[in-house]
Amino acid sequence: MKRSQTVSLVLLAGAGAAAFGLASVDHSQDEEDVRVYADPSACIAAHLRSEADCRSEYEIARALYPTAAPRYPSTTDCEAHHGSGHCVAGESVAEAARGKFIPVMAGYVIGATTEQKLPPQPVFDHAPKDETHQASHSTGFHSGYCTGSGARIWTTGYGRSSAARVSSAALRGSSFGGFGSSGRSFSSHSSSSHGFFGG
Amino acid sequence: MRRVPTGERPDWREIARKNGFVFHTLDGAPYWDESHAYAFTLDEIEEDIEAPSGELHALCLDFAARAVEDERILASLCIPESAWDAVRGSWRRGDASLYGRLDLSYDGTGPAKLLEYNADTPTALYETGVFQWLWLEELLRDGRLPAGSDQYNAIHERLIARFREIGAGTLTAFAAEADAPEDRGTVTYLQDCALQAGHATRFLDLSEIGLKPDGRFCAPDEASIDLLFKLYPWEWAFSDAFAKGVAGSPTRFLEPPWKAILSNKGVLPHLWAQEPGHPNLLPAFFEDDPQAASLGASYVRKPVFSREGSNIEIVREGTVLAHEPGPYGGEGYIRQALAELPSFDDRRRPLIGSWIVGDAPAGLCVREGRGAITGNDALFVPHYIEPAA
Repeated sequence: MKRSQTVSLVLLAGAGAAAFGLASVDHSQDEEDVRVYADPSACIAAHLRSEADCRSEYEIARALYPTAAPRYPSTTDCEAHHGSGHCVAGESVAEAARGKFIPVMAGYVIGATTEQKLPPQPVFDHAPKDETHQASHSTGFHSGYCTGSGARIWTTGYGRSSAARVSSAALRGSSFGGFGSSGRSFSSHSSSSHGFFGG
Repeated sequence: MRRVPTGERPDWREIARKNGFVFHTLDGAPYWDESHAYAFTLDEIEEDIEAPSGELHALCLDFAARAVEDERILASLCIPESAWDAVRGSWRRGDASLYGRLDLSYDGTGPAKLLEYNADTPTALYETGVFQWLWLEELLRDGRLPAGSDQYNAIHERLIARFREIGAGTLTAFAAEADAPEDRGTVTYLQDCALQAGHATRFLDLSEIGLKPDGRFCAPDEASIDLLFKLYPWEWAFSDAFAKGVAGSPTRFLEPPWKAILSNKGVLPHLWAQEPGHPNLLPAFFEDDPQAASLGASYVRKPVFSREGSNIEIVREGTVLAHEPGPYGGEGYIRQALAELPSFDDRRRPLIGSWIVGDAPAGLCVREGRGAITGNDALFVPHYIEPAA
């Protein structure tokens, strides 16, 4: 016989739909329930966080933007990650970014609740050219957003809803994280949610 | 080798759910497709796929042994000099490898041809080892395949056996991009196998890996990791901040750093130079090698680093036949003789993925792409071995 005599699963068997999702980990430790809003009025309209929170968190994210935004040597490189028309000359945002190109701030990501104590961050459109090209051939496509440190945020409802779950470590800027950044700068090629780093 | 309509099991989605296979459909598009299957004879499996796969892997090991002692080879593979110690050290210590997938062009007649070796971060493992196996067992049970049908698929048993051979330390960690279902699924499956082999395991998002002052890699609570499986290619890890911590660390990696030598398209011209005329190899040359002209006007152009078909270009009679866009190619290209994938139904072309577990061939998967280049939109199609007539 050329096949296994038996196949047994411990972690996966009978675990149901969540098995490959998050069955073996504690959600509260690893993921954050977040919202992405374009501006404070979108946040206020959602009636999830208070009006005061919506505004103050936006101000924090807005203040972070000039330093948090990724830098690219050319507008072509920048648009390749963030989409056509989504990049500006660095000097228009910060003197330190003169000569570079940076994405415009697409919105901000905040925790679904105050209790999460999640620092707000600016987010950028994650709309790589290849994916946009693919999008015309497939339905249900969306690129979502990314943070300045490269964490990707896929929101539900093909990207138009504001809700998302994102790995906590990725959002909280853990002092760990020495692996992954090179891959994330390439991950824009991933035209679907299939393999990210595998293949 | 035949493409046989088998019909779907009406409840396969429910079976998939119960067995944790949630990425059978992605972004609304199918990935697992059991409406048909590929049937092989035992001779095709043993003589044309299994034996050549073992031989190809052995050639690769011979090449790796030479490469680690030759800086010109390491440089030709675009492995950064800063990573040479990690690569050489892991080979000289004999760090164990877990698995890899040889991608073969094969149509049931001539010798299978090696297109490339995903020796570092292959996926499609769970669906090969578990879900494809379940499919066979259920179709046999229900009399929907001839009695005595088999499958070339000892993946699951071999993975568990391999984890036993490698041995368990205090902690074996499995790291991947947690938000990507296929990567997460592959890694969770491997974690499952390791657990069954007696390893104490944890899953980590890549961003959660830490490096301690004593040189050990660690989990977020600073628990030291003895063995770290990472579904993250070495060519990127070598550019990351933690790259400098690899060579001197007591933490061992799966795959080990020396796999960077093989999971690299640059291995293809080196293998051809090592074994010119080998029936399972295609002529291949670095693009800047004058001998590349000997391929004529039909060839495949591949970046040294790429995955899921990105940036691959097929040229036939001087015309670009197919081109998959992508972000790769900065490190240069190789050219490989064109071995077009066979077509059994005019629309889709099967690619044979031949698995190596440890150092021995262990099973196969068939992925059907829509075009000449198998990308990440390929369908996974099960296979069986027909009983002897």
